[in-house]
Amino acid sequence: MKRLVAMIALLATQPAAAETPQQILDALVAQAGPASAARGEQLYRAKSAAGKTANACTACHTDNAKAAGQHVKTHKAIDPLAPVAQKDRFTDPAKVEKWFKRNCQEVLARACTPQEKADFTAYMISIK
Amino acid sequence: METSGITWKNLSTLILAVGATAFAISQAPANDEAIFPMPAGKTYVEECGSCHTAFAPGLLPARSWRRMMGELANHFGEDASLEEPRRLAILKDLETLASDSPQANMRMRRINGAIPANTAPQRIADTGYFKYMHDEVPKHIWQRKKIGTPGNCIACHTRANEGRYGEREVRIPQ
Ligand code: HEC
Ligand code: HEC
Ligand code: HEC
Repeated sequence: MKRLVAMIALLATQPAAAETPQQILDALVAQAGPASAARGEQLYRAKSAAGKTANACTACHTDNAKAAGQHVKTHKAIDPLAPVAQKDRFTDPAKVEKWFKRNCQEVLARACTPQEKADFTAYMISIK
Repeated sequence: METSGITWKNLSTLILAVGATAFAISQAPANDEAIFPMPAGKTYVEECGSCHTAFAPGLLPARSWRRMMGELANHFGEDASLEEPRRLAILKDLETLASDSPQANMRMRRINGAIPANTAPQRIADTGYFKYMHDEVPKHIWQRKKIGTPGNCIACHTRANEGRYGEREVRIPQ
């Protein structure tokens, strides 16, 4: 009985590899150096001429990262990006990396640098 | 039981949660309800339900999914590429539950019947069945801000990510 319970408990907990937003920021800072939330906010709001359909992060995530966004093409609702409003944001390093890759390409037509990622994450965490 | 910290109640919840995942794929929905089988586990909704509705595999034939899953780097102008073996695992689920799979229910077969065999449509909203089912939705409704496009199933079918398109679960946003 005990063994069965242990096995089931293991099965149920395995996928949770969650980190805190601060741990994710620390790992980015370790690559990039000190992060600036102010620069991160500039990146969030900057209009880019390179974007094909979305010219800024705010195009899908809106001017207010605490508010729900909407995908410019599919119109699907997107949960808020700021961890203060959506608690699973910036808790899965692979997910964060995947979306930086996609969305920086989408808006800036290039990858974001480690510095930009650190700044952006610092800004999101700073939103209260 | 109290002393071990695990009660019968939460033990059975765990068993149910584990069992439900394995069961989901084998479950054949009743033919008269608008319920489509969905891939088991969270991967499909996480990977294919992030930018839009996690479309039920039974809305398109396997050849459509094979083509789409072979062109993910340019997916409707978007980079939706996936690492192996994840891409292959999703493709396998899509094929298993596609509209022309051997286990397709009546509704899925009807969808399939309206798709010419020599085509591999990529847009669900372009298929005959979709048009037929929505021909009473007036044009101005599709243009509402929260809907925007017919492909935004989940804006109206609130449980679309679970494959549920039944009448009682439709809420058309204002
Ligand atoms: C075309 C729409 C779109 C644009 C433009 C966009 N995003 Fe996103 N973003 C998304 C979607 C969709 C998700 C994932 C959906 C979800 O998790 O709810 C997402 C998720 C993210 C995440 C993951 C956060 C987490 O931990 O869950 C980060 C980081 C992110 N975006 C950063 C950016 C940055 C930086 C920009 C601007 C350079 C940007 N996004 C522009 C659509 C967009
Ligand atoms: C990075 C964002 C993104 C991801 C991830 C993504 N898609 Fe898409 N998908 C889109 C966009 C953008 C469209 C086109 C929307 C439009 O123009 O109306 C689309 C359209 C579709 C359509 C056609 C919908 C219609 O209008 O009938 C299907 C089917 C589809 N995607 C399936 C998938 C599958 C399966 C996956 C997972 C392997 C996936 N998508 C992942 C962005 C994405
Ligand atoms: C504007 C809101 C809206 C959107 C967006 C929408 N539908 Fe529907 N759908 C409806 C309505 C209304 C009905 C008719 C309800 C009824 O009478 O059963 C319907 C019916 C259906 C049915 C038949 C249900 C039944 O009971 O037989 C299916 C299946 C379906 N939709 C699938 C989809 C799919 C797949 C998408 C996205 C590709 C989608 N719908 C997008 C509003 C919508």
